[in-house]
Amino acid sequence: MSKVVEISPTTRHEGHSKLTLKVNDQGIIETGNWCSITPVRGVEKLAVGKTPEQVPKIASRVCGICPIAHNLAGTEAMEASIKCEIPRDALLLRHILQLANRCHSIALHDILILPDFYIPGTETKINPFTAEEPVRTVAKRIQRLREISQTIGQIAGGDCIHPRNTRIGGMYRNVSEQAKTKMYDLAKEGLVLSHAQSEFMIAVIRNYHKRDFVDVGGMKVPMPKDLGFHDQGYLATHSFYGSSSLDECPSWDIRRFKEARPWDWYMGEMEISLEEPRYPIGGTTKMGTKVNPQMEACTGIPMYDGQPVEVGPRARLVTYKNFDEKGTQGQNIAREMEYQDCFYEMIDCLDELNTSGKVVADYIPDGDGSLGWASNEAPRGTDVHIARVKDWKVQYFSMLVPTTWNFATCSKALTGAPWQLAEVIMRGYDPCVSCATHMIVVDEANKVVAQKLIQ
Amino acid sequence: MLYPEIVIAGCGNPLFADDGFGPAVIEEMEKLSLPDNVMVVDAGLGGPHFIFTLLDPEVTKKLVIVDIADYGAEPGSITKLRVEDLPPGAYRDAHSWDLTEPLQRIKDRVDVTVIGCQPAKVTAPEFEIGLSDEVQGAIPKAIRVILETIGVDYGTTINLQEEGRQRGTAETCSSKDR
Repeated sequence: MSKVVEISPTTRHEGHSKLTLKVNDQGIIETGNWCSITPVRGVEKLAVGKTPEQVPKIASRVCGICPIAHNLAGTEAMEASIKCEIPRDALLLRHILQLANRCHSIALHDILILPDFYIPGTETKINPFTAEEPVRTVAKRIQRLREISQTIGQIAGGDCIHPRNTRIGGMYRNVSEQAKTKMYDLAKEGLVLSHAQSEFMIAVIRNYHKRDFVDVGGMKVPMPKDLGFHDQGYLATHSFYGSSSLDECPSWDIRRFKEARPWDWYMGEMEISLEEPRYPIGGTTKMGTKVNPQMEACTGIPMYDGQPVEVGPRARLVTYKNFDEKGTQGQNIAREMEYQDCFYEMIDCLDELNTSGKVVADYIPDGDGSLGWASNEAPRGTDVHIARVKDWKVQYFSMLVPTTWNFATCSKALTGAPWQLAEVIMRGYDPCVSCATHMIVVDEANKVVAQKLIQ
Repeated sequence: MLYPEIVIAGCGNPLFADDGFGPAVIEEMEKLSLPDNVMVVDAGLGGPHFIFTLLDPEVTKKLVIVDIADYGAEPGSITKLRVEDLPPGAYRDAHSWDLTEPLQRIKDRVDVTVIGCQPAKVTAPEFEIGLSDEVQGAIPKAIRVILETIGVDYGTTINLQEEGRQRGTAETCSSKDR
């Protein structure tokens, strides 16, 4: 007889989401639903009628963690619509900014997942805030990596949180030779630290997944060897940066994309029949509570070729670097492997950057209403922005953010795992839920049927 | 070091009307000429994970947070708060590290002041751009209070205005310049 258990809210990630799980007598998940419960926002509607300069800035405000990815994807979607090609040096600066953001994000994710893992060879779970070794050294290294990334981002982007150097047509300013040298020095320091950090992380991740049992809130939970496996496929548009051209990037074709309604996808109304007060941070939802993921979910279900797909570090590594590890373990390892690659790529970009080169396009058209799209490989995966600009006014704007893709894919990946490990699977996706909230739903005839979920 | 001795962080989301107070104050403050050991930063929604958890108490001695605060006053009123006055959950890291408060962690080593403005309207979860007149009108006063808090004389800052920032890059999203 199936029972229903719910973990709400989920912790150690950005935004509000919950896991509603139908489990069998052994506590193994039969059907898992992971959904966003952040209320609906209307950034797409707000963008209409604004100038192309304003919209990327609006887009970057939907989330506290990934403003850089949204800013870049938004700006490039506008440029794709007005058909403006930016100078090479501007693109390099954007690329450096984006890589710096990713390095910071990986470091942040390390802190968030570390409490799940053990110090190898012991039964002690890692507390990243402890003053004791060996964790102290790791925590200090993470902080230094974050600092390095943010400083590089600040130099390239003009500001480390909401970059102000980006503009339609390129960048406002190139950097000075001294600034370039400083970024170079920081990237070299970051490279050494990222090597050490990813080695440490990969060791603790492997150690965790090799265990027969792991501890969750005092419960001894068997660790399946296929934790987080799914067969949904992957989507990545570039190994590092992104693209706005189908020639350059045939793997993302807007015509192969469709979005389903949450009520066609998630489970309907149910009653909680399993409660576990020992579950970390306040226990699971009380017995007898009515839940309805269909109506509570705040996101549509994006599909590529009719199926939800995975986006993120593993998708990039599978698509471009023949990576073949599956499941939550593979996902976390892929993220760590991107660490050094980011710094290597950053150093390559800096080598190529000409600080006396121009960074603004000579001619910035007003736009003729063509549809333009840009994908940006954000830390969490492919962030696609779609825009239509005519006479320097935005006529249409839409955002397809990484975690929206992953909601449905991760829900599938939950099947077969002990319910106590559902959050571990979810954290593998490094979810950023608040920006995933997006609600434009089209039906089979591509007509908009719901702009807002009725709650 | 990423952050200097004094950090002024404007928090909030300009897409929720008066919640954009913090970034709007920062935008104004960027027009001032401030001492080298002061950094003004538009934190947006990223304060906890980009600033509060990245400050080095060896370097940063003072953190001023500018935000809206609902304390039952007339809209546009400015108040100065300490970390102890904040309700639990305010500035909880959006990533909810371990459900502790990042400000509680640093408050004994960094002097933290919150400059709060009573909002007239916060539209969340609906988006709306633009501050209400009351909150817009409170910006100069907030800047005076901030400068007083960090011990900088207002007069010396405004006389040395810089052209510095590019027009049209306004981070409050309301700029119509091209």
